[in-house]
Amino acid sequence: MTATTQAPTTAAPVIGAGVTRVDGPLKVTGAVPYADDLAPRDALVGVLVGATIASGEISLVDASDALAAPGVVAVLSHHDAPRVVRPDEASADERAPMPPFQDATVRFHGDYVAMVVAQTREEAVHAASLLRVSYDVAEPVVDLNDPRALRETDDPAGADSVRGDLERGVAAADVVIEADYVTGDNTNNPLGLFSACAEWDGDALHMWATTQWPFNTADCLAEAWGIPREDVRVECPYLGGGFGSGLRPWPYIHAAAMAARVVGQPVRVVLSRPQMFTGVGHRPETVQHVRLGARRDGTLTAVEHTATIPVATDDDNPENIVSGTRQGYAVEHLRADVDQVRLHISPPGSMRAPGEAQGNFALETALDELAVELGIDPVELRMRNEAVTNPDQDDLPWSSKALDQCLRRGAELIGWDDRDPAPRSMREGDQLIGYGMAAVSFFYFQQPCTVRVVVRRDGSAAVHCAAMDIGTGTYTIVTQVAAERLGLDLSEVEVVLGDSSLPASPPAGGSGLAMAISNATALAVSGVLGDLGLDGAPGRDVLARAVGDRDEVRAEATATPPDPAELGMSPSGAFGAKFAKVRVDADLGLVRVERLVSVIDCGQVLNERTARSQVVGGTVGGIGHALLEHTVTDLHAGPQTGRVTNAHLADYLVAVNADVPDLEVEFVGGPDRLNTVGVKGVGEVGLCGVAAAIGNAVFHATGRRIRRLPITPDLLL
Amino acid sequence: MRDFTYVLADDVASAGSLVHNDAVARAVQTPDDVAYVAGGTTQYDLMRDGVWSPGTLVDISRLPLADIEVSDDLLVVGAAVTMADLARHPSVVDLDVLRDSLLLAASPQLRTMATVGGNVLQRTRCRYFRDPTVTQCNKRVPGSGCAAVEGTARTHAVLGVDAGCIAVHASDLAVALVALDARVRTHGPHGGRTISVTQLHVRADEDPARDNTLVAGELITHLEIPLPDARSGYLKVRDRASYEFALTSAAVVARVEDGVLAHVAIGLGGVGSVPWRATRAEEVLRGQRASLALFEEAAAAELADAFTVPGTAFKPELARRTLVRQLRDVTEVTA
Amino acid sequence: MSRLSVDVTVNGEQHSVEVDTRRSLLDLLREDLALTGTQKGCDQGACGACTVHLDGQRRLSCLTMAVQADGREVTTIEGIGTPDDLHPVQQAFLDCDAFQCGACTAGQVMSAAALLDEEGWSTADDVRELMSGNLCRCGAYPRIVDAVLSARTAREA
Repeated sequence: MTATTQAPTTAAPVIGAGVTRVDGPLKVTGAVPYADDLAPRDALVGVLVGATIASGEISLVDASDALAAPGVVAVLSHHDAPRVVRPDEASADERAPMPPFQDATVRFHGDYVAMVVAQTREEAVHAASLLRVSYDVAEPVVDLNDPRALRETDDPAGADSVRGDLERGVAAADVVIEADYVTGDNTNNPLGLFSACAEWDGDALHMWATTQWPFNTADCLAEAWGIPREDVRVECPYLGGGFGSGLRPWPYIHAAAMAARVVGQPVRVVLSRPQMFTGVGHRPETVQHVRLGARRDGTLTAVEHTATIPVATDDDNPENIVSGTRQGYAVEHLRADVDQVRLHISPPGSMRAPGEAQGNFALETALDELAVELGIDPVELRMRNEAVTNPDQDDLPWSSKALDQCLRRGAELIGWDDRDPAPRSMREGDQLIGYGMAAVSFFYFQQPCTVRVVVRRDGSAAVHCAAMDIGTGTYTIVTQVAAERLGLDLSEVEVVLGDSSLPASPPAGGSGLAMAISNATALAVSGVLGDLGLDGAPGRDVLARAVGDRDEVRAEATATPPDPAELGMSPSGAFGAKFAKVRVDADLGLVRVERLVSVIDCGQVLNERTARSQVVGGTVGGIGHALLEHTVTDLHAGPQTGRVTNAHLADYLVAVNADVPDLEVEFVGGPDRLNTVGVKGVGEVGLCGVAAAIGNAVFHATGRRIRRLPITPDLLL
Repeated sequence: MRDFTYVLADDVASAGSLVHNDAVARAVQTPDDVAYVAGGTTQYDLMRDGVWSPGTLVDISRLPLADIEVSDDLLVVGAAVTMADLARHPSVVDLDVLRDSLLLAASPQLRTMATVGGNVLQRTRCRYFRDPTVTQCNKRVPGSGCAAVEGTARTHAVLGVDAGCIAVHASDLAVALVALDARVRTHGPHGGRTISVTQLHVRADEDPARDNTLVAGELITHLEIPLPDARSGYLKVRDRASYEFALTSAAVVARVEDGVLAHVAIGLGGVGSVPWRATRAEEVLRGQRASLALFEEAAAAELADAFTVPGTAFKPELARRTLVRQLRDVTEVTA
Repeated sequence: MSRLSVDVTVNGEQHSVEVDTRRSLLDLLREDLALTGTQKGCDQGACGACTVHLDGQRRLSCLTMAVQADGREVTTIEGIGTPDDLHPVQQAFLDCDAFQCGACTAGQVMSAAALLDEEGWSTADDVRELMSGNLCRCGAYPRIVDAVLSARTAREA
């Protein structure tokens, strides 16, 4: 941040108010244009064909029958597809996913081996079934525990940390507990199928593609094709959910561009639901080990948290399982370490609180076990070890932190003190009743964001940024921030997002966009007001007069992440406390969530309605993470090794309406001190902690400690 | 999906002969190249997944088979009646086992589409069966093996199966029907006949390639459901609270007279390659004094010979508990 | 290729469309009639995003063959309201913030609009069960329940 402008006051502040989504009418009427809805209607249809082996080389793609089928225009494979450069994602600190069809190597089951382009989807799907693909099969390694797998130990996730001397901390402990925790692989499964349509005009590429980061997608396409960045445009004004799976330029996007290049016409690709399991990332499974040492009074003396996660054979995924552990509690002696194991699986990627979701389950379950061991209330244990400063950042004071309020208020709301804390002590008929809780210290993530504010001759305004609204309400909060600071009605501000030709934005991910874009908007408004010789929130008439007979006046501003040392404080992410009440059928092992309370410190709430919906939604994702979701890969040796066995929404279970009770959400704390708007991200804190709170509640209900996700009935028989 | 010809059937006889004549011409016993479609929730789904690819689809959804009649404690349900319509019929609203087997199945939208005739003939949800890229599936490609046995099998069957196929029959309705001694009326190349639902399906350990005992062209026209003089209930156990196939389920129809089980009929779901009539459990229970201990004994007897693989190892225990719970709840026996 | 002419009334308007027999009603709506409000979430009958009304009842358009819609009446999300003239269920979804990304919303709204005409339910738990055929990955379920109950109240008022 380069400016510390105070928020100007207006008669009716709109920041924080529960403003109705500005794009809501479009969404409830079906008028909202998702990427595929914008694709030219005369585009040809591309259907991708995946490998049916997990490792090996393609010896031949015989397309003769497919090419002879009605409606078929072309078949692309490594034999003849255009060669492109694999881009770097410099800003994401990883290589972009491998573009398809560049060599004969099959890296995982479902890796694209060909694409059929036809006049209609029905024709393309049928022709795809006529392709004959031959392989030289190699033996795949798909099991995280397979000793043959290449293990990357040299801090591949950028997560490792050592503080103090772990063994000294252990020696100082009165009680030491340790256990292994396992979390299953999950798949993002946004409801909108990902799509890409490419149209070439000479060497200029225009794409309508599902992405959470249009700017970076365009960067990567320009690099892949070796064409000027300004000749690439990626449009995605809306997407049907992403949850992290839209953060990277996945191979299907390249495939559409290649096909359009080859056939000289626009080509549309819509992934099938099974392809959504292997083509756009997934939350990697984990095996974690946690060791905690504490004195009798509950003071932590040592924390060790290690994790092993899979990564694809030829990809990067810096997934930090231990971020919450490093900064969560005041402990002098700590070791945190993440290893990655290379497997012939589809590339894992970010999914809804990547790393933190899995790591929090292990740490917060272990703390519950420690509390039981010590005979200390789990809430009290967390309060006693509160990190008043950030132990992971030179013990700098936090820019804001209200975790203690989250814990106190959550306990109050759920009636924590009214429960009988003894395990398996509460029962109604066949139902065992349990309460559990978990705390969350979510990491801070920021990247630069540029926003352009345009004040028009009539005094109305527009805000332009390449950023995405992934359903979280970005259109709405940007409208609010601009309207408040310009003194305009919400209807007088037009927000244009989701287009790589607009000013550079960070991804809609990492709980970072709201902070970045709201601050950049505030800065750009200050800039344009300065250019107009105005201050305060002048309102439409004053703005119109100041613009005068010019068409418009525009200003751009970039919000840049601050330097903590310079600021003398540690930038805070969100904090939260989750409290669950569950019912477990004593005989059948069925777990049903009866109540779930989330108390969140996310700084300044920009919009009470959309922020609440984000936490509610994250909680629903957390219920799925805890009890239902599990992407299962065939591990046994045979022709199906490495195949996802439940790539179907009837078999991969996400929570349905009946799984979810009315969810209680409260916000506590005040504006963060770091930035002018005072906002912290709220995108992922909603999911974190839910699994541990539910698991701890299951323990309280049943006396059974399940150290594995999802917690399914068979584990409780 | 291969290109196909669509024919809208006008009447039962001509629909049947279309399918039958094709089968005769090709001298095969199972309908394949010409097939029926009604609600489409199984047939069209399988075609879209590339699992099978008929050359002609005969649409029977508009045949006059959508009536429900009640006479002399017999419910006669046209095969084209939808699940939703049957569930709200006055005779079904109070027949707990039937109503709940319908309303706990699928989703409201699917229940509006799916017909009862199609439901009892629905094909397994085994994801190895439903993915044509999987080469080992004795149900799809006889003699090719069974990938599920060594694969992911949490939703698979433990009764009426062996290492050749562990596919589960996923219908809830059919489980209630076997407990109600229901029958299907069919129209086939050789005229009409009536088949007990317990005789309609073929166990995987007998012939995985064959789902049912219908001959080519034979069409279910009605379900005959005797209305029992007994209490009943359907318990469905599943991970999520709705919109999921059963891990286990139990349909129980029972009448207790003076503490003795005068009538008991049990169907089990989620565990069998066919809608499983629990005859062994019934033998243990019939004429005996109802008690929780007896229920435990009966359930154990039924699952004693379960065939399990690592993925289904939990199922016999869960099925036992499901059955005991439902026997308890239907009989209201507390000790 | 086998093609058949399908006469179907969509949102009150008669259409005669020649379709590939393989085509789903969903693709007929999206591709042939350019009614892109109805979304494709799985194309396998497992998510509810494609819910439309066929002769007044809620159905999955992805598992409905286009040819089976011949002679029938289809209502889609575009047919029950517009941004300037919302259906009570659409208004309730907006008021209750019963969505985020919107991919499931058309299906949720159509499902809920049909539910209002169905009998045999009254409580929030009933709504949870009877709306369980519509997945929402953003997790708006509690707010969807609020919206359905408030739309019912609005209709009864």
